[in-house]
Amino acid sequence: MACEIIQTVFIISVITGFLALLLVIAEALFVNYGECRIKINGKKELVVQGGGSLLSTLNDNKIFLASACGGRGSCGFCKCTISSGAGPLLPTEKPFLSEKEISDGVRLSCQVKVKQDLSIKIPEEIFNIRKFRAEVAKITDLTYDIKELTLKLVEPGTISFKAGQYVQLESPAYEKSRQSVQRAYSISSNPYQDDMIQLIIRRVPEGICTTYVFDYLKEGDKINFTGPFGDFFIRETEADMLFIAGGSGKAPIKSMIEFLDKIGSRRRMVYLFGARSTKDLYYTELFREYEKKLTNFSYVPVLSQPSEECEWKGRCGYIPPFIPEFLRDPVNTEAYLCGSPGMIDAVKKALLELGVPDNKIYFDSFA
Amino acid sequence: MKETPQELKIHNNMKKGMISVTGFLGDDERHYHEIIADDKKNLEKIGLSADKIADRLEYFSRKAFPVYDGTTIIDEIYQVEYRSYRGRIMCPFGHGGGYRKGEITLVNLQNNARLCWTPLNEHMIRTHCFFEGVGSNHRLDPEIIKKALF
Repeated sequence: MACEIIQTVFIISVITGFLALLLVIAEALFVNYGECRIKINGKKELVVQGGGSLLSTLNDNKIFLASACGGRGSCGFCKCTISSGAGPLLPTEKPFLSEKEISDGVRLSCQVKVKQDLSIKIPEEIFNIRKFRAEVAKITDLTYDIKELTLKLVEPGTISFKAGQYVQLESPAYEKSRQSVQRAYSISSNPYQDDMIQLIIRRVPEGICTTYVFDYLKEGDKINFTGPFGDFFIRETEADMLFIAGGSGKAPIKSMIEFLDKIGSRRRMVYLFGARSTKDLYYTELFREYEKKLTNFSYVPVLSQPSEECEWKGRCGYIPPFIPEFLRDPVNTEAYLCGSPGMIDAVKKALLELGVPDNKIYFDSFA
Repeated sequence: MKETPQELKIHNNMKKGMISVTGFLGDDERHYHEIIADDKKNLEKIGLSADKIADRLEYFSRKAFPVYDGTTIIDEIYQVEYRSYRGRIMCPFGHGGGYRKGEITLVNLQNNARLCWTPLNEHMIRTHCFFEGVGSNHRLDPEIIKKALF
């Protein structure tokens, strides 16, 4: 009896598998969606061959939505609003979308197939996003687990970005990864150096992209990235600025400080950098130089666990208790935070309690 | 073993170099179904459920999360450290949304039992009763969990 059941299940599985395979082959061979039109933001119109995913179709037309998983439906980054032609919402999209997003027509572009004319909405800044080819000009060890990459642009030769934005670096398939992946890293150089970018990358244990960068990538190699992305950038006001970062969160803040130096800003700026011990500190001399160059800038490293041997004479503990010391006028202060989600949560809570308005707290969380 | 396309996808996701460099199976040659089935038996033997273990792991990670740059002592006998890394990692079973990249390390100061897990482990244990394959970097052996946490 058991044998018959197993046999029946096996036969049904084989038939189902065969039919599914037939469907895939038939779709590839015979289904022709023909030309479809994608209307973007009610203005621009693309005429494309139907059949591909919306994400890949847009990519083919040099419109790059953020994506960390290469279109496998597992990162949830490639959202866009589709007002017509998308078909029903798929179960693979639901976990990434809130109720409001679903009612607003937000979809994952990698899961939507272009089968008919579509009307979509994407932020205007997406049109500035390009795919870049670059040469690794320099790799510098900043700490035991953080490296700085200097990438000289090859094609296109220049980039336009705002200090604080990030790019998606692409690691190719290599010995330890069967596929190419993309990961987000903030640009640490300033926008005036438009023929290169610098990134600060911390090793992630078992991470596919950081293992590639740390163990395989060499100076002189070529690498691809897409960008710039993100809305973490300096607001053009005269408010005091409080920068708070930890670990590799220094990258966008470095870009911002360098930019403010280039434009000769006289805004009051304080930069609190949190680390565990002295071996986690880097760029200290660089920011000491900025203290001399910028009239209103202070750099304050804070260590949570300085070892006894290092005779650390700076501030010890976590950042939140030190914030009041540097907060002159909470209502007239903008806070720019970058670091681990735990740090962002703790610092944001402290800032709100001290009276910094919620809408003046900008952050780039590692999450 | 004949696998459905969905099972095949999950199995592939668990291999080295798909979602993480070292994957989720370690040196274990068993199918992930067998790993899960064997661990269910292990749980029965030690009198714990996957939910109970996930609750306990989440209890410690929630308490350690705000101590983002160091170790903390919880309930007087557990030394816990939460290290966060940039980005999110996907569930090999295909659950969307991604889980925070991070590592929680716990030492039971009474018996020196040590555990290291990720937010993804908490999800995989609760939802899939999957403790990873033997030899995997984040394999959580139910018996060691019992020694360390209960």
